[in-house]
Amino acid sequence: MTVPLPKQAYPGRILPVTLPAGPGGTPVTVGGQNALSLAPEGEKPNAAAIGMEVRTGGGDLPPALAKAFECRATDPVSLAGACANDWGAQFLFLSLDGCHPDGGGQPVEEGARIVHEVLAAVSCPVIVGGCGEEETDAKLFPAVAESAGRPVFLSYADEKNYRLVGGAALAYGHGVVAWSPIDINMAKQANLLLSDLGVPPERILIDPLTGGLGYGLEYTYSIVERIRLAGLSGDAMLARPVLCHLGDAWKAREAVDASETSWGDAVLRGRRWEETTGWACLAAGADLLVFRHPGNVEAFREAAWR
Amino acid sequence: MALTALDIYKLLPKTNCKDCGFPTCLAFAMQMAAGKAGIDKCPPASEEAKAALGAASAPPLPRIVVGTGDRAVTLGDEVVLFRHEKTFYHPTAIAISVSDALGDEALEERLRSISALSFERVGQILAVDMVAVRFDSGDPARFAKTASASLARCGKPLLLSGTCAALAAAIREVGASRPLLRPPPGETAAGAALAAAEKLPLAVSARGIEGLAAALAAARAAGATELVADPKPADAAVAVADSIFIRRLAIVHRAQEIAYPTAFDLGQGFPRPFEAACLLLSKYASLLVLDTADPAEIFPLLTLRQNLFTDPQRPIQVDPGIYPIGKISPSSPVLITTNFSLTYFTVRSDVEAAKTPAYLLIAECDGMSVLTAWAAGKFTSESIAALLAESGISGKVDHRTLILPGMVARLSGKIEELSQWRVLVGPQESSALPSYLRRLPPAAFVPVHG
Ligand code: B12
Ligand code: SF4
Repeated sequence: MTVPLPKQAYPGRILPVTLPAGPGGTPVTVGGQNALSLAPEGEKPNAAAIGMEVRTGGGDLPPALAKAFECRATDPVSLAGACANDWGAQFLFLSLDGCHPDGGGQPVEEGARIVHEVLAAVSCPVIVGGCGEEETDAKLFPAVAESAGRPVFLSYADEKNYRLVGGAALAYGHGVVAWSPIDINMAKQANLLLSDLGVPPERILIDPLTGGLGYGLEYTYSIVERIRLAGLSGDAMLARPVLCHLGDAWKAREAVDASETSWGDAVLRGRRWEETTGWACLAAGADLLVFRHPGNVEAFREAAWR
Repeated sequence: MALTALDIYKLLPKTNCKDCGFPTCLAFAMQMAAGKAGIDKCPPASEEAKAALGAASAPPLPRIVVGTGDRAVTLGDEVVLFRHEKTFYHPTAIAISVSDALGDEALEERLRSISALSFERVGQILAVDMVAVRFDSGDPARFAKTASASLARCGKPLLLSGTCAALAAAIREVGASRPLLRPPPGETAAGAALAAAEKLPLAVSARGIEGLAAALAAARAAGATELVADPKPADAAVAVADSIFIRRLAIVHRAQEIAYPTAFDLGQGFPRPFEAACLLLSKYASLLVLDTADPAEIFPLLTLRQNLFTDPQRPIQVDPGIYPIGKISPSSPVLITTNFSLTYFTVRSDVEAAKTPAYLLIAECDGMSVLTAWAAGKFTSESIAALLAESGISGKVDHRTLILPGMVARLSGKIEELSQWRVLVGPQESSALPSYLRRLPPAAFVPVHG
């Protein structure tokens, strides 16, 4: 008896995007595939890339991360070094949350200085994230774009700030992460706006907003699938690599609360909460995943077949 | 291959008599091709058409029920490849294994820990569904005893993995509970005969899709009809590929010979079982067997399952209305939020933590979070003012002060204009409610007169 192998071919292809590295570092290329993730079909020249988030803001670490980071937690530069050199991160996502008015309120210059130092300390590609506060970010992105010694990706540009972020990226040769709130039309719109501004397509990544496990993951899961299906069907504005930032997984009470003993050990549970979010995003089609737990970086990098 | 609407149309009477409830035969054919209508809805259809189209209108993935009563588990019976196309209906069943080689005490402890795998999230109970009993002892009587202890202790449907001799012994004890039988690959035909005689569902195991198709054919030939397919993958990569292909063969290609719910055993040394479980939950598995009973691993898996099997058109929601929390009195604070379950339960637990009795007013917002509902125009000054007037809350408290979620502070002025109520803007995150409520002066809730 022979069963036909139900392979599926698509007319479109995801545009390859390269995140540039520093001297001696390995650039990361994602995209380039013409098939859905996980099904053994089509061409998949690049595996999903696994990165780690480094934050400049303080704040209490969840038990799982406190254990994994040990003493390196407080200093972003040495944490960045550990992520890139010891824990196997292929790229870093440097969140300048320390500049947020509620998160320490570091001056913009301080944020830009940390970016500079991190870029000197690691040679892997870096995505620099703003602090999330509109007015501060409006100053932060241009400062970072100017002072970064080598090309990075700026995260993020949306419908409102795309001129500013896209402009800063264009002026200094950086890439841009196009962000939209779990909405395929808005994802497309953000890409259109950046294209109109002249940002080259091979310097744009899509961030569809990643809801953490139990807190909106299902919406993200379906939006990533829809973006990918649209891209493979030939919609060029959506045929771009998708980045899922798993930070929201750590906002869940279930990932951090050590007081509920019936939920099991909080150190393992926190790690699994992020890991589960990551596998679901990978299954949906994500091309770049940003973790905080070193053990998860290892687990995903070992799954070389992805 | 699936029939196209045109193939179906050719077999219909083409009279457009509308008895099926559709305006034309073609419209009906399109519904049938999409798997949304059956030929039984077209009374004038010829016998040949009924025979030819009956199979085409069967669900693309059969429905297999394991167990009995409220705890019965339904496997399969899905109609789409992507949840956004409609929804996934039958959550992947999770079975935790028990070895019959365990001593009495260890068995008792294992069954206790399986029963404890139950968690409450956003008003739903998330629990593992089945117990998978493994035949490791070599003694069928002991296998049977372990099966009946598992059933008695956990009350969940059973998956019985063992030789036909062991299965036969266990069926005498627990057959009435409709266990799923899983003989080893070498005993498919004998297992199928047993399943057919006992009218029980059967999991057929064979490596790879080709092998599986042959084994399923052998099982059918031996009379078994309620089948589950286990492609016995070597690792997570193969498992998820097999799972995707089997689902596509069922839904897209209507390849009935392989269109069955799938089962994967991720225990007994399967490499990276947690990774495989996450991927298979995301990609179509009907049943997973796990060796771990660690709540730190099971809780995230059950939460992923809850997320993916929520109807994308209908978020999990609670009924709108007035929810008293604690020992309320007419001077208790009144807080308002939306009827999205995640929002409601988050706010509720934070109010409970505050230990201040309060009324929680839940607005009908189609199950949207506060900001989403606001952005969608469902949580507005007008709708809130109307709720204050019509919900009956003014008969329950003698003050007129409302605490509004901090995220929608901008609504406060207009609400005050439209209603008799004074508005206090609460914190942005409800986790700050305990300290916020404690700091509020009682004068905030003095009675109003006249
Ligand atoms: C998941 C999500 C969706 C889902 C829907 C989820 C749902 N069922 O509501 C989908 C994808 C469908 C969606 C759609 C839209 N969304 Co939306 N969505 C989100 C997202 C990512 C999470 C929302 C969530 O679940 N929050 C969790 C719940 C628990 O939060 P909450 O209800 O606000 O409750 C908290 C607080 O408000 C507070 N609280 C609640 N009640 C009370 C009561 C009192 C008394 C107090 C004191 C406090 C309090 O405590 C709670 C816990 O902290 C947010 C972004 C984000 N990260 O918040 C955007 C977000 C809410 N969406 C937004 C928008 C614009 C939309 C859309 C209009 C367009 C779009 N797609 O983005 C549509 C509108 C819907 C429509 N027209 O049909 C915007 C709103 C913009 C704004 N600033 O107002 C947001 C903020 C994203 C953004 N940054 O742009 N969305
Ligand atoms: S009932 Fe049958 S014959 Fe009548 S309109 Fe419907 S499909 Fe056509």
